[in-house]
Amino acid sequence: MHYDTIIIGAGLAGLSAALRRAALGERVLVLAKGYGASGWTAGCVDVWAAGDAPLSALATLVRSRPQHPYALVGLEALQRGLEWVRTLAAAAGYPLVGGWERGLRLPTALGALRSTCLVPLTMVAGESRQLADGPLLIAGLRELRDFFPPLIAENLRAQGYAATGCYLQMPPGERQRECTPLHVAQCFEQAHVRANIGQQLRTHVRQGGYRRIGLPGVLGLHQAPAVVAELQALSGALIFEIPTLPTSVPGLRLFHVFEQAALAAGVRMQVGGWVVRAEAEGQQLVAVYSRAAAREQRHSARRWVLATGGMLGGGLRSDAHGHIIETALGLPVAKPYSRAEWFDPLLFAPGGHPIFQAGIAVDPQLRPLDAEGRVVYENVAVVGGALAHYDELREGCREGVALATGYGEEQKNR
Amino acid sequence: MPYETEVLIIGGGATGLGCALDLALRGIGCILVEKGDLASGTTGRYHGLLHSGGRYVTSDPQSARECARENVILRRIMPHCLEDTSGVFVVTPWDDADYADQFVANCHAAGVAVQELPLAELQRRESLLNRAISRAFELHDGSADSFLAARSLALAVESAGARIFSYHQLERLIRMGDRVVAGVVTDRRSGEQQRIDCAYVLNASGAWAGRVAALAGVQLTLVAGKGTMVAMNHRMVNTVVNRCKYPADGDIIVPIHTVAVLGTTDLHVPDPDHYGIEAHEVALLLAEGEKLIPGLSRYRALRAWAGVRPLYQDSGQRGGADRAIPRTFKLLDHRERDGVAGLISLVGGKWTTYRLMAEEAVNLVAQRLGKLQPCRTAHEVLPVPATEHRAHLPPLRGAAARYGAQTEHKATWPINGLAQPWGQNEIQGLDADYYYLGQHLGAVEQSQAAGDLICECELVTRARVLTALEQGIHTLDDIRRTLRVGMGPCQGGWCVYRTAALLYEVQQTQAQDAPIDPNMALRDFLQARWKGALPILWGDQLRQARLDEQIYVGLLGVDLIADS
Ligand SMILES: Cc1cc2nc3c(=O)[nH]c(=O)nc-3n(C[C@H](O)[C@H](O)[C@H](O)COP(=O)(O)OP(=O)(O)OC[C@H]3O[C@@H](n4cnc5c(N)ncnc54)[C@H](O)[C@@H]3O)c2cc1C
Repeated sequence: MHYDTIIIGAGLAGLSAALRRAALGERVLVLAKGYGASGWTAGCVDVWAAGDAPLSALATLVRSRPQHPYALVGLEALQRGLEWVRTLAAAAGYPLVGGWERGLRLPTALGALRSTCLVPLTMVAGESRQLADGPLLIAGLRELRDFFPPLIAENLRAQGYAATGCYLQMPPGERQRECTPLHVAQCFEQAHVRANIGQQLRTHVRQGGYRRIGLPGVLGLHQAPAVVAELQALSGALIFEIPTLPTSVPGLRLFHVFEQAALAAGVRMQVGGWVVRAEAEGQQLVAVYSRAAAREQRHSARRWVLATGGMLGGGLRSDAHGHIIETALGLPVAKPYSRAEWFDPLLFAPGGHPIFQAGIAVDPQLRPLDAEGRVVYENVAVVGGALAHYDELREGCREGVALATGYGEEQKNR
Repeated sequence: MPYETEVLIIGGGATGLGCALDLALRGIGCILVEKGDLASGTTGRYHGLLHSGGRYVTSDPQSARECARENVILRRIMPHCLEDTSGVFVVTPWDDADYADQFVANCHAAGVAVQELPLAELQRRESLLNRAISRAFELHDGSADSFLAARSLALAVESAGARIFSYHQLERLIRMGDRVVAGVVTDRRSGEQQRIDCAYVLNASGAWAGRVAALAGVQLTLVAGKGTMVAMNHRMVNTVVNRCKYPADGDIIVPIHTVAVLGTTDLHVPDPDHYGIEAHEVALLLAEGEKLIPGLSRYRALRAWAGVRPLYQDSGQRGGADRAIPRTFKLLDHRERDGVAGLISLVGGKWTTYRLMAEEAVNLVAQRLGKLQPCRTAHEVLPVPATEHRAHLPPLRGAAARYGAQTEHKATWPINGLAQPWGQNEIQGLDADYYYLGQHLGAVEQSQAAGDLICECELVTRARVLTALEQGIHTLDDIRRTLRVGMGPCQGGWCVYRTAALLYEVQQTQAQDAPIDPNMALRDFLQARWKGALPILWGDQLRQARLDEQIYVGLLGVDLIADS
């Protein structure tokens, strides 16, 4: 089978590119080892971690850092990507709220306030500007190891919010031995669990007069907005989710929005095999080979999108000698000069660690470049975490770059 | 109000704790002060090897003899801290084949049991070892958890009525004429000072012994020899593996708990508190490891750390390599050596011989004090701390059974009762009491506590974390030393957040004069892990570090929280 476009990598960047190209009638294949990093994220759309005014910070950024992915694709591409993802999520019954004009800040499972731009409906009542409107309850489940209300409440109090922490009881029979976030989310799909937890919340609200309640981000896997609405009705307070440690259920939900849309759009997804090498004719990539179980498989296409992520996604791999390789196509990697320069001795150094800005340098059409700045393959675009010259985590722009480059890639390469 | 005691012990490593127990069992009053947590010095930063003595039969036969003897005693008194891995000395193509026969002869001369192991048997037991190994010898090496041993010793010391002050640093020694009569210590958490009057000061401060001696105006020059080790994510061997050659760098692999530790190097450092880990040391350890286990450097390395050896050289015998300085210990009576009475220093030695060092030091002190009770530490079985599974669990089934027979720990404690004479039966029955890999899994399976694991890598349950927290710890690093939380492949990715939150919750229920800020504790711990990980961050472990960063920065926002 010959495809118009083959996308390597099934994270948000790869699936955005797949959806865009499928919408234009292309035959699209997604080849991936696994499902991207979404289950490790908060499930929000982070655009830029600059507090209240991301838009003006971004305007400065594209001027001062011309190699940053946002500067390469332009802020219009980012804006189109954000609009598109809102439409996509709303159509899936999982609306995202917010925008890039005004940043949002939401509590974390440590009680810090983290900046983001678009959040699912299930989290929006936790936005920091509203949190101060009255007594606030942070409630968790003792069986869940990844969420600790007393500490969250303590840290929120230290920032001026009237927060109290408490534990609820899982209904008998649901107290499984392995209470992972995913398991608890499945429990919340059952009516009797919602009724039971809603009742416990109501008692707390009666006693404490709480206006808002923060719960761990485990309120259902598929029907989360409905679960939240029901708990609000039962408890008499506004409910918001706080993302837990991985596996993060809100991260998975956001991923499922993309995955379901891709499958509905006729995108073929082949997951479970590493892409291990490339076959080229001059500056054209003609085929790649993927390895799963025992055999290698050849895949050919006219165009290619590399969306394998950075060090976390597995798109980049390093060794003890300071080498970094791009794992799928063997593209040249832009990286710090030597291993001695990879890290800052302070883990939380504000600028992060240089090694995590390693990646593939690209031209404004997102085509990979070698060390001399020559295009390696004319028919390949690199999107998302595999790109060089930015740190998606420290800059708080993972989803923003994924959308701007993933969804925007096609316009650069018609 | 000054405290008063007969002996003030400086240092809460194996040696100091051993001295405290020995004194207490002889009915001699003592107080032990340690500037950090127990075992936060070299004792907690060593290679983890219960020596058979084999390593020293050529370079230092006296040490070899001492190790062989103490090895048997430690198996008797602290089996729960030891894993009976056995040890092999192997001749690789890089080693002088002629040395092997000399090695065996030296073992015999030093009283170290040794047996040639057929190569087929070696390969059956350790299939990853280099197939080019030409000869192998089996000895009674094992691996040892020095953190657990320190806590067991501390329990024994306290139940024998002596006191231990951790996080108390000795600042001054007070002399009356040419006699040391007291020490002044600072509580490092409250800043308060305390004077402790005593008849003797036992200086068991390891690599810091020169500094402590200087407080009494005594000059004691030590060579600080730094040794670096690397923990690998896999236990690629289940037997301690030594190169059969004259001791050198990077020639031992010790399987301990869930990891295998490569070590060590040996470099002089000017200051036992400040040293780094050099890239070339890590490269050397991996390269030497490759000779024993081809492909080893492609495994995931978890972290690197270093400890400092206090090597003592009598004046006059300067020069030569560190490894030539005897590893045996020295008991320095400063009355004889420097004309300053009331001060005795113990320097050098090994973890394996801590008890013997203590016995000799306490013999001297006891004799001076006119106390005649004999040493009992070779016979008193140490108690198992409550944080350990086996202390409160019936015999294990399930996974534990697959790893070998397991019977419940024999309770020969409390110490105030009559000491049990060790008959032949008990020694034979001891096999079942060693720690073994799979013990924690067995306990978790048996109590069906899989859903309550706070640290999945090291299989630490919430109940154990709460027990440890309730006993009073001061940093998350104390918890790590107690339970191994954060020592596994994720290096704290999940468990440290959970532990910090539990720490906060436990503190809320207890009245504490100086509660710990959980946010700061969390950040400090992660920073300390980062430091240990930096020398080995590449490949999968670099990916892991990025995931941990995603958790702590991307999900939790640890960096956004101000200190309270
Ligand atoms: C790299 C390396 C690997 C090793 N591997 C092994 C091995 O595999 N097997 C083995 O048997 N031995 C091994 N050893 C040797 C063994 O670790 C040491 O001999 C043993 O731990 C020494 O214990 P200690 O109590 O004497 O010293 P330490 O554990 O260093 O204790 C001294 C304590 O004194 C405290 N202190 C210092 N100054 C003050 C002060 N002013 N006030 C209060 N407290 C103070 C320190 O904080 C420290 O905790 C190794 C050593 C090194 C360096």
